[in-house]
Amino acid sequence: MEIFIILGIPLFLVATALFTGRQRFFGIANCLGYLVVLFEAVLLFKKIILSGNLKLWGDFIYLDPLSGFFILVISIVAFAAALYSIGYVRRDIEQGLISERKAGVYYLFFNLFCLSMLFVPAVNNLGMLWVTIEMTTLISAFLVGFYNSKESVEAAWKYIIICSVGIVLALLGTILFSCAFSVAGLSKSLNWSDMFPVAHILDKNILKVAFIFILVGYGTKAGLAPMHTWLPDAHSQAVAPVSALLSGVLLKTAIYAILRFGLIVIKGVGLAYFSNLMIILGMISLGLACGFILVQKDLKRLLAYSSIEHVGIIAVGFGLGSPLAVAGAFLHVFNHAIVKSLMFFGAGNIVSLYGKHNINAIRGVLKALPFTGIMVLMGCFALTGFPPFSVFISEFLILITAFVNGSYLMAGLMLLFLSVIFGAFIHHFGKMLFGNLPKNMLTAHEPLSEKLALLFLFFLTCAPGIALIFKGKDLLWIAQRLLQG
Amino acid sequence: MHEPVLLLILVASYLMVVAKRVPALISSFRYQSFFLFLMTMISGFEERHPALYLVAMLILVLKVFVIPYVLNLIAKRINVDENLGLFVNAQLSLIIALLFTYCAWVFSGLIMFGQDYKLFAMTVAFSVIFTGAFLMIFRMKAFAQVAGLLVMENGVFLFASFVLGGMPFFVEIAIFLDVFVSVIIMGLFVYRINKLFTHIDVNKLSRLKG
Repeated sequence: MEIFIILGIPLFLVATALFTGRQRFFGIANCLGYLVVLFEAVLLFKKIILSGNLKLWGDFIYLDPLSGFFILVISIVAFAAALYSIGYVRRDIEQGLISERKAGVYYLFFNLFCLSMLFVPAVNNLGMLWVTIEMTTLISAFLVGFYNSKESVEAAWKYIIICSVGIVLALLGTILFSCAFSVAGLSKSLNWSDMFPVAHILDKNILKVAFIFILVGYGTKAGLAPMHTWLPDAHSQAVAPVSALLSGVLLKTAIYAILRFGLIVIKGVGLAYFSNLMIILGMISLGLACGFILVQKDLKRLLAYSSIEHVGIIAVGFGLGSPLAVAGAFLHVFNHAIVKSLMFFGAGNIVSLYGKHNINAIRGVLKALPFTGIMVLMGCFALTGFPPFSVFISEFLILITAFVNGSYLMAGLMLLFLSVIFGAFIHHFGKMLFGNLPKNMLTAHEPLSEKLALLFLFFLTCAPGIALIFKGKDLLWIAQRLLQG
Repeated sequence: MHEPVLLLILVASYLMVVAKRVPALISSFRYQSFFLFLMTMISGFEERHPALYLVAMLILVLKVFVIPYVLNLIAKRINVDENLGLFVNAQLSLIIALLFTYCAWVFSGLIMFGQDYKLFAMTVAFSVIFTGAFLMIFRMKAFAQVAGLLVMENGVFLFASFVLGGMPFFVEIAIFLDVFVSVIIMGLFVYRINKLFTHIDVNKLSRLKG
């Protein structure tokens, strides 16, 4: 029942977005809608964990703990983005960047985007999974090119073309998976719930070839290097709340798709094959992001490259495959979604005040935007994995597993990259946050909705760290349930 | 009965590789889609499968009529230079396309899913996919990228239907609609690029770096 409300509310908001005259009013309604979605997602997750998998609408929708978890993460970030949008859209209208009419278009695409993302973990059929992921690309391309400047249209074009090519390869992979099915003499089906139980009797070689296509195809969408080239452009040019959605959860939906196929491959071929591919791609992403973060001159591109880094860490975590590492990777999916959204919201405030993305032109943020400045400072520490925050815990779990498995070279390289990234982040953000204000700049007003969005995310950044002290056993139990799914 | 049509599909993809102008590219795409439609009709007739007729009709409507029409319409509206801008000249492109076909043939021989005409179908499917990718990379105009993607899509469809025996019906429908929507959206972006940059040469889109 919850899933109908979760999918129904964005659908309703899509239908009404263009017919509401006052955008401020619609923004608040939008935000309340996503609050309900978040509430229902929590209920849904609890229900799936406690009482098992659900199948609805015939076989169309299939929910297990894995999909419940991703729906939860998507709805958290969607709620925060909806909350932040109220203030952000209003300021854009006041500054004359967009018209009242165009704000309606923004909310239309925002809701369509969220709807398509919420569909991704819910569908059972792997062909429909492909369709929904392609829909997320097509819809979000409009949000990337929203300001209609030369840069943003160029970014949107690159985004749509590169991701579409990637996704054609993923389609080829999906077809090969169904081929493995018919070769084994089973009826033709692409339903996950039919495929998974018989994965061990499928042809190993076909599964191997198919998974390469899946990994390259959905890996393009997930931003794994070397297929990441669209990502910094698209994420830096999008509207700030949408950048948060793109970085925070859109990449995770592609990770989700890789995991779905990965589970079949693990059962059919064995862990080692999956593990090697994921770890190699993950480490390449980490290393590459490390280099680009070091020399970056653009604030939002800096954050985009940091997303590539974190997707790399997640891939390594899933690749290691032991319960502890997978629990760490799931926690990292959650943490990165939260912290990266926080940073993109902060960056959105900074960029709209200074009017520039260039790191060298931004000085004294703590004086100009006291609240945002403090949040960004905290977020910067959280993102680089500083101890009291949640990202530290998930990175720590993954690193422990790497050491326990005896892959010292990998663990050492990962620590090296992480520490270089830490230094680069502190260097860049130190320059921006401290120092004197540029001439003629006053302390700016920060809208309440933006402050609330930042606070909400900041609370969630700290929460897993605190929860782990009191509820460590329960969290581990949930992680184990996720693994079985 | 399948082989001649498969050969025609292959020839249509060679025609696209040697095309120097946008209208020629679009009309070759139209031929290829038409042969794909023919192929699906023949299969439907042989296997007495009503769903295949519906898929064939969708190909006819979307890929033979609507999508080429939309592309032509945009080409007329933006009114730019019709040359595709070849990084690799037509003769060399044809040689490369032939090489692709040879590679696809070797590759198909290696994994070989079925017997009779399936080996040939797989060769054609993979060389069509490679050709599509080639068009996307070695042509300057944004149109070529849209067309290249459609050609790749045709190749994947060929592979799915005639080598592996098709996908579940509603998935196929969903994929068709998805392709249609993506062409419309890409067309809109081509239009916007032309408006902002006054050209559609993708090799000159280089503002974002690093």
